[in-house]
Amino acid sequence: MDMLRSEVTVEDQARYLGRGDYARVTAADRPGVAQPVPVREVPQQPWGRISLGALLLFALLIGGWEGYWRAWGVPTGYYRNSNGEWAQQRRRIDAGEGGKTVLIGSSRILFDVQLPVWEQAAGERPIQLAMEGTSSVPVLEDLAADPQFTGHLLVGVAPSLFFSGFAYRGDVIPYFHKQTPSQRSGNWLSKRLLEPYLAFDEPDFALATVIERQAWPQRPDLPENTAVRKLAVQEVDRNSHLWSKVETDPEYYALVRKIWSEHLSAPPPPMMDTPEKAQKLIAAQIQRAVDAVAKLRARGVQVLFVRPPSTGPWLELENKAFPRDKTWDVLLARTGAPGIHFEDYPEMQGMNLPEWSHLSASDAQRYTAALYRIIERDFWKRDAAPVAAN
Amino acid sequence: MRRGNALVFNSLTFVVFFACVLILHNLPLGWTTKKINLLLASYLFYSAWNPPFVILLWISTVVDWYAAQGLVKAKRESARHAWMLLSVVANLGMLGYFKYGAFLLDNFSALMHALGIAYQPAHGDIVLPVGISFYTFATMAYTLDVYLRRAEPARNLLDYALFVTFFPHLVAGPIMRPTELVPQFEQPRKASADQLRFGLALMTLGLFNKIVLADSFLASIAEGVYDSDKVPGALDAWAATLAFSGQIFCDFAGYSTTAIGAALCLGFAMPDNFRFPYAAVGFSDFWRRWHITLSAWLRDYLYIPLGGNRRGPARTYTALMGTMLLGGLWHGASWTFVVWGGLHGVYLAAERFLRSRFANYKPGPLMFVVFGLLTYALVNITWVFFRAKTFDKAWTVLRGMAGTNTAAMPILSSFSLIAVAAIVGGLVLTHWFMRARTLESVVARVHPVAVCAVWGLLAFAIVIAQGSGAAFIYFQF
Repeated sequence: MDMLRSEVTVEDQARYLGRGDYARVTAADRPGVAQPVPVREVPQQPWGRISLGALLLFALLIGGWEGYWRAWGVPTGYYRNSNGEWAQQRRRIDAGEGGKTVLIGSSRILFDVQLPVWEQAAGERPIQLAMEGTSSVPVLEDLAADPQFTGHLLVGVAPSLFFSGFAYRGDVIPYFHKQTPSQRSGNWLSKRLLEPYLAFDEPDFALATVIERQAWPQRPDLPENTAVRKLAVQEVDRNSHLWSKVETDPEYYALVRKIWSEHLSAPPPPMMDTPEKAQKLIAAQIQRAVDAVAKLRARGVQVLFVRPPSTGPWLELENKAFPRDKTWDVLLARTGAPGIHFEDYPEMQGMNLPEWSHLSASDAQRYTAALYRIIERDFWKRDAAPVAAN
Repeated sequence: MRRGNALVFNSLTFVVFFACVLILHNLPLGWTTKKINLLLASYLFYSAWNPPFVILLWISTVVDWYAAQGLVKAKRESARHAWMLLSVVANLGMLGYFKYGAFLLDNFSALMHALGIAYQPAHGDIVLPVGISFYTFATMAYTLDVYLRRAEPARNLLDYALFVTFFPHLVAGPIMRPTELVPQFEQPRKASADQLRFGLALMTLGLFNKIVLADSFLASIAEGVYDSDKVPGALDAWAATLAFSGQIFCDFAGYSTTAIGAALCLGFAMPDNFRFPYAAVGFSDFWRRWHITLSAWLRDYLYIPLGGNRRGPARTYTALMGTMLLGGLWHGASWTFVVWGGLHGVYLAAERFLRSRFANYKPGPLMFVVFGLLTYALVNITWVFFRAKTFDKAWTVLRGMAGTNTAAMPILSSFSLIAVAAIVGGLVLTHWFMRARTLESVVARVHPVAVCAVWGLLAFAIVIAQGSGAAFIYFQF
């Protein structure tokens, strides 16, 4: 390669304007002819030493980054709450486990229901399909449309999500249905080679997220809308619980509460900014649930709605924007399915919710044990016919 | 860096796949065996998206192989025409069905409604095969080059099939010509140690562009305005559009650089697809710098056959507009892409007219930069139609850019504005610095320690960016 030829200045270029003088000739400069074999030169450099040095620098930087997050309290041995992992669990239903108990809902079902506790009581580990920030209605509809699913269905109801239809991770269902072989193998590799070993491999600690969360000046007239921080850790089959930092680090749980306060004090979204619109949206979500439950019950699936605990400002907002008599009670009446509301059971009182929305890890175990006892006692009796309501 | 629709370069699966391919290619095997390995690997690469669609690749390969053979054997000109038409009809037919089928039906339905005829077409959910626009153009180039007597047919089916399917360029280009790649398969090729290292460095640079700049920083800023119901003011509309200009460059040039690097690691050379286009001065310059292999393809197989610039001004302008409108449609089955192409056609026609009107004008250095910035600004206007999903959205953003959305409220955070200024500003400055240079010439003059540091930092940034494996934008085209 003639390196000198490449050193054409802007002024030189100006003189060549219109004459198409470029540092390297390409097909753009050879109209109407057969294009020759390209030439790709390698710049003269000690590439052996450069690649070794780059590798060493890369290893040092990665080691430092990993060390930083571990020192900050991020544990290893857990997995990402990825669409790929959700799809893998969802696929179990169509691979011979369609008769099992399936849990759907949002983060409260995901963090509050502990699969090992349930398994110990029931003798069978349920399939966890709850997804944070996401209404369970689309998953309810998806399961209703899948004839392979014939088991028991626990449907979590977080009022602000279920009755608004908000689906932060709503892409997970189309992802499952369109998942490519490449995506499946990527998830398989990631779970085996990266996720359990690297503390930093977590969306909350991604480069852009970390930079964006620095103290940038606030733009005038733009309301604060801080993204929710990492709240939980997840095991291999999506069994999840609140991250210990949320419970034990005062600074961190104060931050989490501040973020919730921001979200809770925000004006209602445009689709719910008048009582009429809100009521219409709630009615629409209930109707979707009614239709899906009817399909499920027609093929013998037992459906049970569960309203997990909340407290503080979260409970206040839920009671105000989604009053029980206009949401939960209507849902049960219209679907004809039974439900467990935490306010109705003494054994579900007095739980510890460090950030008002999710149970502490230890109380999630207590809650799961209580929940299963109630279910077995009142709804899904072992070796018995389904309850009348179902 | 973990998921992805097709077997994208920014996926863990690709890392494992590429490592296996490199090992196989460097084993002491015969050249034919190595080529078969590459061919099978390329089919596997494509199957990772949707295995049955490999059949389309085979159809495209076989049709053009036999069409070229028929062209050579044909005694009469009419027979040559027929073989050429077979290739064009088969390839464009496939492209038309999968890419434009629903679009054509919808438009036909709209036309019927406009004429007062109730017509509801019964079209299903047609899946757009990844990369179909790229490999159909590559195979058509093969037959057309033979038809135009620019090239001889490949000597064997294996070399030709590998030209069509070679995984680095298969799904998003650069759009290769047979004369660029087929001869490389005729002799044994293996990368030297330095080619392998430099190829890996190019792949790192390409993936940095895609994963860190395009996906991690710029994509969400463009989405914040273009995929939102909010009405943007001037600052937000410009920031989002500039962010998209950076995103699409980093996404697509990132893919091309990674593809060139991957091929180099295996000992093959692929052509440049970009020459720092945001330092273009004028639109003919822009199109000699942006997606070079597509613009050269359209020029050689569409613009020139339509008459080019040899049959008078009226025919030239018609050919120019026709080429750019079809070039727009190539990008997607939507009228917004046609408008995008049309705008570029208008820009090119206007520039051609002004050049003939002011033939003796030579800009000084200041005006040169002014024209360059004007070119970039006008290119950004076209990006609005490229990015907006509807004309309503495009007009809303354009009104915002013109400062006439009086009721607009802030949308993007101050961080987003700073990120756009830093990344896109840095990108444009880099293009101006590099506009008459090549990457290789600059790398050759930089101190090795700096090259080493930059390479290590780029790789580090790629890993900690934790890309979602989002598909490259051009996969959909």
